[in-house]
Amino acid sequence: MGAELGKYKSCVSARSTDKEVLKYAQDGGIVTSLFGYALDTGIIDGAIVAANKEFYAKYPSKCIQDSSNLDMIEPWRPIPAIVNTKAELLAAAGTKYNISPNIALLKEATRSFGLDKIGIVGTPCQMQAVRKAQLYPVGMRDVGASIALAVGIFCMENFPYQSILQLVEDHAAMKLESVKKMEIGKGKFWVYGKRGQVVQLPLKVTHKYEQPGCHVCLDYVANLGDISTGSVGSPDGWSTIFVRSKIGEAVWAKAIADGVFETQPIEKVKPGLELVTKLANEKITKNKNTLEARKTFGVGKALRNPYI
Amino acid sequence: MTRVISISPTIRHEGKSGLVLDVDEKGIVTRGDWVGLSPVRGIERFCTGKKMHQVPKIASRTCGICPVPHVLAGVGAMEASIGCEVPKDALLLRRIIHSASRLSVHALHAFMVLPDLYYPGTDTRINPYSPEPRARAIADRIQRIREIGQDCVQIAGGEAIHPGNPRVGGMYRNISPQAKTKLFDLAKEGNVLAHEHLDCMLALIRDFSRREWVEIGGARVPVPKNLGYHNQGYLATDPLYGTSSLEEHPSFDLARYAEVSPEHWYRGPGEVTYGDPTYPGGGTLPEGTAFDPAREMCPAVPIYDGQPVEVGAAARLRRFSNFDEKGTIGQLVARQMECIPAVTELEDCIDRLNPAGAVRAGTLPPGDGKPGWAANEAPRGTLVHITRVKDRKVRFFKMIVPTSWNMPTAGLALAGSPWQLAEFVIRGYDPCISCASH
Repeated sequence: MGAELGKYKSCVSARSTDKEVLKYAQDGGIVTSLFGYALDTGIIDGAIVAANKEFYAKYPSKCIQDSSNLDMIEPWRPIPAIVNTKAELLAAAGTKYNISPNIALLKEATRSFGLDKIGIVGTPCQMQAVRKAQLYPVGMRDVGASIALAVGIFCMENFPYQSILQLVEDHAAMKLESVKKMEIGKGKFWVYGKRGQVVQLPLKVTHKYEQPGCHVCLDYVANLGDISTGSVGSPDGWSTIFVRSKIGEAVWAKAIADGVFETQPIEKVKPGLELVTKLANEKITKNKNTLEARKTFGVGKALRNPYI
Repeated sequence: MTRVISISPTIRHEGKSGLVLDVDEKGIVTRGDWVGLSPVRGIERFCTGKKMHQVPKIASRTCGICPVPHVLAGVGAMEASIGCEVPKDALLLRRIIHSASRLSVHALHAFMVLPDLYYPGTDTRINPYSPEPRARAIADRIQRIREIGQDCVQIAGGEAIHPGNPRVGGMYRNISPQAKTKLFDLAKEGNVLAHEHLDCMLALIRDFSRREWVEIGGARVPVPKNLGYHNQGYLATDPLYGTSSLEEHPSFDLARYAEVSPEHWYRGPGEVTYGDPTYPGGGTLPEGTAFDPAREMCPAVPIYDGQPVEVGAAARLRRFSNFDEKGTIGQLVARQMECIPAVTELEDCIDRLNPAGAVRAGTLPPGDGKPGWAANEAPRGTLVHITRVKDRKVRFFKMIVPTSWNMPTAGLALAGSPWQLAEFVIRGYDPCISCASH
């Protein structure tokens, strides 16, 4: 191994200096602050993020969700949306542990939304989709050149909506409407209620609910993002950042100079890169084995391998 | 003595076509047949039985230069058949993509005819691919106009080629205020460029019209003053957008239209008696090549009041703006003149568009099999889609396409011109043979 963290120019632990952002953010408020900064400085003129039902109720024209019946939309189901202001960004902050098809908005962003410089946030697979659309634009006319800033988030695995429903409502015995925050960390699936309840589930019970497609994924820390960020490796309320591309480096340097983030060297924080590397290795090794098993899945027959 | 010459394929237009020309001893065409050779894909037939939402998307694939008119006429015809009124802002979005596509298609045609034209006052032909600054100035401007046109269609219509936003009952999405601003900027830039482009093209076309001769294949060919004249009359439904059977007084009369097989207007079998190997692009077809225009002709022949007619930019300006120049020069001038109303309409519609407005009609009626039609003034002329929708399915579908109208008319217009100029004459119609065959 050794390539498990991808190529990067620098790695730090950081958090937003904006107190308001930290109030809504999952960890260090990196994505929210970074996009807020990029919008303010004209690096991007809109960002594709994962919003939710409340966001959709407030800004319906910002989503492509095609339902005027709000009751049909479940709580904690992510809805891809395009945001142009800090208020909209804050309304969309926070991790939703189920599938958000952000790339579905990628082309539309350059069309009826009229964006020239798109910011997009997504999991490693979504960063792969963005890069593939840039290099092999099949039905993606004018999209590649419009992508100005791709921010990747660390991802171990994802869940279908039904899985989250079952995990929260059955295993954690909490109504989805009353959940304030969900988190996977320290080997547990944490569910925080609005009234202060905290439930933790061992990750073991979540395994069977994982999206099967995640089991062939060989990317943990969003290797293809301009900037990648995630909670692992940094203390609570802080995020680990990999600055990867030239674009990422330029944006990050400007943001730091303008005091958008406070940082600590990653070597100084606990648990640090060691844990990130360990988890990345675990994910990649496990999933490589799954890929390997697909070769001999049938008797004299294989299942398809998208990597070859 | 009459010789028969055949040029096939013809070039610098959309699709595949050929010319069969009877030529007298002076090289003047006495009878011309312009034969569409793009294979019939049978869109009308295989759309029958499909859902009303799908058919305009299929019809769009008739042609990649003018997909916008096809998709708009398609949804318009479905709406006319089921009796559905489109919200105001959806109509504005449709007019935006329609005028933007007209702008870019006319600019593309300028590119097609540039190699026929000369730098004013010289005997040097224009090569738009040349790196020379004179050629680049013209070609770059055309490219930018096309870029602007396509970007506008892309924003308002979802995609520059085969727009996905129009749907039966309106549009899928309105655009954001940000997109509206962007459209407006593009249109403003397009307006300036369109005026420069018009001045430039008019100068080139006027210079051509004053020429005594042009050089083709090394020979000097005289240019007649009545190049491309015909007496077939003109048809247009609207200076800008179109009409449909939903309107109280539609400007197209379906009862005066009929469609006949090519046998009525095209010659029978024969063979080429004269081949000219010096004709640019590998020569004309060699002596002895057999042809049969009446049977090889892929498009059908639409007629209006029993005759083929001319449709297109010249027909529109003639009917709605007192334009009275005939022939090929008239067509070229009219087409470039239309760029200005197109860009003005574009600006006007963007201005009136409300980005927060609804763009979809409420519940769509399923249709009861009533016939409905919509005409769209495509860049190349009147495009009519006729349909009958019952229970959301298309029971009948028919397309009357601009180039189908123009093909027999242009054949008649060839008489009286030197045969070497025949291709230039048909290029005046900005032919789109894929559209004609469909």
